[in-house]
Amino acid sequence: MTLVMNGIRKKFNNDYAVDGISLTVDRGEMFGMLGANGAGKTTSFRMILGLLDPSEGSIAWEGKPLSYKRTKLVGYLPEERGLFPKLTVKEQLIYLMKLKGMSKGDIITEMRHWLDRFQVPEYENKKIEELSKGNQQKIQFMAAVLHKPELLILDEPFSGLDPVNSDMLKSAVLDMQKAGTTILFSSHQMQNVEELCEELIMLKQGKAVLQGNLRKIKRSYGMKTINIHADFDLEFLRSVPGIISLDKTKDGAKVKVENEKIAEDIFYNVAETGFARKFEVEEPSLHDIFIDKAGGEKNE
Amino acid sequence: MNNFWTTVAHTAGRRLKSKAFIFSTLSMAILVFALTNINNIIDAFSSDDADRDLPRVAVIDETEYGGLFTDMLSSYEDGRFQYVETTENLDSALDAARDDEHDYVLHLSGNNENIVAEFYSNGNDFMIAQDVNHDVQRIKEAVMTNELGLNEQELALIYYPVLFNELPLHEGGEVQTVETHMQAYWMVYFLVFAIYMIVLTFGTMIATEVATEKSSRVMELIVSSVNPVTQMLGKIIGIGIAGLVNLGAIVVAGIIGVSVSGDDFFDMIFTEVLDPTLVFYALLLIILGYFVYGGVAAMLGALVSRAEEVNQALQPLIFLAIIALFISIFGLNTPDVAFIQVLSYVPFFTPQLLFLRIGMGTVPTWEIILILAILTISCIIIMFIAARIYKGGVLMYGKFSFKDSLKQAFTLSKKEN
Repeated sequence: MTLVMNGIRKKFNNDYAVDGISLTVDRGEMFGMLGANGAGKTTSFRMILGLLDPSEGSIAWEGKPLSYKRTKLVGYLPEERGLFPKLTVKEQLIYLMKLKGMSKGDIITEMRHWLDRFQVPEYENKKIEELSKGNQQKIQFMAAVLHKPELLILDEPFSGLDPVNSDMLKSAVLDMQKAGTTILFSSHQMQNVEELCEELIMLKQGKAVLQGNLRKIKRSYGMKTINIHADFDLEFLRSVPGIISLDKTKDGAKVKVENEKIAEDIFYNVAETGFARKFEVEEPSLHDIFIDKAGGEKNE
Repeated sequence: MNNFWTTVAHTAGRRLKSKAFIFSTLSMAILVFALTNINNIIDAFSSDDADRDLPRVAVIDETEYGGLFTDMLSSYEDGRFQYVETTENLDSALDAARDDEHDYVLHLSGNNENIVAEFYSNGNDFMIAQDVNHDVQRIKEAVMTNELGLNEQELALIYYPVLFNELPLHEGGEVQTVETHMQAYWMVYFLVFAIYMIVLTFGTMIATEVATEKSSRVMELIVSSVNPVTQMLGKIIGIGIAGLVNLGAIVVAGIIGVSVSGDDFFDMIFTEVLDPTLVFYALLLIILGYFVYGGVAAMLGALVSRAEEVNQALQPLIFLAIIALFISIFGLNTPDVAFIQVLSYVPFFTPQLLFLRIGMGTVPTWEIILILAILTISCIIIMFIAARIYKGGVLMYGKFSFKDSLKQAFTLSKKEN
């Protein structure tokens, strides 16, 4: 009862956009796919949906590949949002959901339910082009979930949303998961991933650089951040072997080190020099890990 | 299959409900209705004493027959102009004409065999000049026959027509009469234009529809639910249905118009010009032609990212249609030349040229079947290629160029494993 990707590679011209990904997502699980732009997330999603054929490897949902015969099982929120600008919310959902095999009556009932939930019941007969971007995104989300899919694929669901709408969408996603939907999503915003996912994969240039359970990854991840508050200059710590970076703050400095052993060395170094009001070793945030692993751009 | 009909209904429904479609269909229908009733409309606007406004030809008769020409000319009534006798001399008649007292001046002089007619006009009235020439000639013939003392029977002997029969060279062959030739001529003319218009308008509609869905990015959502090939066929059929409704409305308007007008001319067209066999071939070829051109149009629409680029992408297809139009119009008078026979095997030209050959000449049945089979097979092949490119094309964005876009579309739609 799972989604299984086995040794997936996809070659475009001479480059591999996806290069050897294997993963398993259990039923009802929320699975995160991270990576910088062009890391291969969207290509992976398109292969799962059957829009692209993998060059190597196999993909199966509950033992069988996803084909157009089973399209009802899947809901998809593409990264590039798009609806019919000239059609009303109702017209477009009726068309898009009929393609998923729903009857018109069911579509209207479900649509009203979701419009109420998103607190925009008045949009039923508005054209998409009249809605704000954030509200268009609510409709886009509805187009992915109205038919109660077994597998929901969300490509960057939270990008471009204000905090209120973002939370509204987040709670909707969590409810979908509670109802038993398997959810696969990608995001640039690490905070969302930390809040929502148990399992994740991190891609860099089509390859998995990190994969597994989020808590385990964080605990076993060597790199630590030390937050030091002291009244004297901490610049001398740069000479300690094993230090990755040192950023001065107004109270002292934040120091990144390779592992916990180095943290101990730093502790003694600081203690010899003077009094520190705070010395705290933190587990790395996903943000730090992302930048360390997927590298390059900051805050992407 | 379900999704196919959902797509067809969606595509056709959007067209049929759009204001532009309703407006253009209605205005075409009104135009056709008006055209079939053109005589009634003209009658309604023209006043009863119309003949006073007929152009006047002032006749100065200086022949030796002393006014005989003027008398006979004045008795002619052909409804487009009238002859008026004048006793003025040429100069004053010309002055009067310049003062708009009459419109033309005809100056006749000479004797016997040498009758000279000078016709003064504004220089752009060659039709009237021709008629006047004809009238003067007729009167001269009548006068001369009379002079020579021929009676009516002798005159009839001179003018009695030769019995001329055209017979087929081969046994069982057919000879086109003037009527069947004209009948075929007009039908071919009509169909060639119809196909051209259909390619232009519906091809553009298909390509624009695809490109619009791509540019609004709703395409990716749709192809995650429907097989792109199903969607493409659904679109082609959906727009075809909208087109049939459009065509049907115009035909109905025409039929109503004809029955209201009660004009003989149109009765003649319906009973004599329309040949059921040709109508059957016309419909068959329009449908097959629609699929050939529509398939390519859908494919080209899938290659571009924005609706603005559709025209650029469609250009080659439109050129093909224009070339086919010119060849067919040229071929109307020479349907049997070799290059038309050869080109009628080329799928993009078959609908026009095969119909031309069936209508204007005698094509053996085996050849019709062979060419239709080639057209049908190429239709299917074009659909396959179009579907393949379409599948890759709908996921592809970027600047449009034929070479790169085609290559990229093939890469994206690559069937692997």
